[in-house]
Amino acid sequence: MVTHSGSPGAVRAAGRLNQPRPAVVEARVDGTPVRVNRLPVALLREEWRVVDRWWTEEPIARRYFEVVLQSGENAVVFRDEERSCWFTQKGA
Amino acid sequence: MIACVLIPGFELRAALRKQPGLALRPAALAPAAGTEPLVGPVTAEAERLGVRPGMRLGEALATCPQLILVEQDPAAAEQAWEEILRALEDSGFAVDPAGVGSVYFETRGVERLYGGLEAALRRALAAVGTAWDPRAGAAQRRFAALAAANVARPGQILVVSDERLQEFLAPLPLELVPMEPRRRAELHELGVKRVGQLAGLPGAAVAERLGPDGRRAWGLARGGKHARVRGRRPPAEIFETLEFPEAVANELTLRRAFVALLETLLARPERADRFIRKIALSARLVGGGSWRRSVTLRDATTEPARLKAALGPKLAELPAPVLELRLELVELTEHDGQQLELVPAAGGELDVRLREGLRQVRASTGSGSVNQVVEVAPWSRIPEARALFVPRDD
Repeated sequence: MVTHSGSPGAVRAAGRLNQPRPAVVEARVDGTPVRVNRLPVALLREEWRVVDRWWTEEPIARRYFEVVLQSGENAVVFRDEERSCWFTQKGA
Repeated sequence: MIACVLIPGFELRAALRKQPGLALRPAALAPAAGTEPLVGPVTAEAERLGVRPGMRLGEALATCPQLILVEQDPAAAEQAWEEILRALEDSGFAVDPAGVGSVYFETRGVERLYGGLEAALRRALAAVGTAWDPRAGAAQRRFAALAAANVARPGQILVVSDERLQEFLAPLPLELVPMEPRRRAELHELGVKRVGQLAGLPGAAVAERLGPDGRRAWGLARGGKHARVRGRRPPAEIFETLEFPEAVANELTLRRAFVALLETLLARPERADRFIRKIALSARLVGGGSWRRSVTLRDATTEPARLKAALGPKLAELPAPVLELRLELVELTEHDGQQLELVPAAGGELDVRLREGLRQVRASTGSGSVNQVVEVAPWSRIPEARALFVPRDD
């Protein structure tokens, strides 16, 4: 929320950089992505897991994949294993 | 409980700060120009020599020929009083000032913080400072707290329970009850000189004889009403607040957020090229508490480096993670002549160009379109937890 700074006081809310964005991903049985946002995956470059904040009410369990699409574009996608859905993310 | 902190003769004490040597001599606050020639508060030495506050000027000088009259300095008194109120607020008291030299606050919230009523009141007296000779009173009712503070000696705390209230108020002089001087004189003529005597009269008779003012005084003499004390809203001329998506405890992050707030605040058009005399940093903490530090600068300035140096180190004193950081320009002063730099600082030219570029971007895309990236936890394995973007409108 950003208020007009012409008032005596202004309240600004800081936002998060590199927020995950929902993605449409088709995957094989072993969980590796085949298509990302309808574009075929040409190469799977790297794979890693992030498990964090398991002690909180919002635990994080993600399986990340760095892929090269057939269009030549690099992309990082992850499967949120808590919510069972896919996201793309920059800065990973 | 309602507490009252009282500093008798505050205006005189404030005026004497510039000439502290007079505090030990017979001195009195001179009457303001155009008002009745009655002396204001007097020093202890003047009182010893027979001068009383409210005495006619001629009578006071006749009683004590060596009496020194101190000119009133309402601006200095106001400033000193504001500093005291801020010091109390910095210690967690939600103050409700009742004129210069007298302030009320609820003790319920702070009792747990300081470990009891007496400890909280000690803390309040310490926040005011021993130089002012403050005294504190506490009771269930506002007037009773004021009466208790009036009776207490400098640095003393007097707590009056509701059960013993009538017994406590009864022998006190009628002067403690605020009312029109005419009504007071009338009561004196009737032989009513103590609070207890007024309280003992039938209410209807008092109302008939002395009117609504007398009825109000009668009500106070019986202890006054049970009314809550509401903390004042501290004055803030211009402020900027930054809310964090989650609590931040990292000092580096808080420093960066503070710098971003400072730069935005300095660029606000309402500042109108005025210089900053007093600036305050406050935070809303995790768990519902708050924290506040203010700095009064000896020389009013708008130099970000000086302001950062003055207020930045205070961030280390934060007791808990922060949900919201707020920076206020509490006091601004007019331009009074500043020595310009002979040689501009290195990088100054680039800085000006960058600001101009950003101004043009904002002009074409609107407010909130320019953001600054502030690293929060660059080591985090979760990418979105590493950095925040903070809107900048400077």
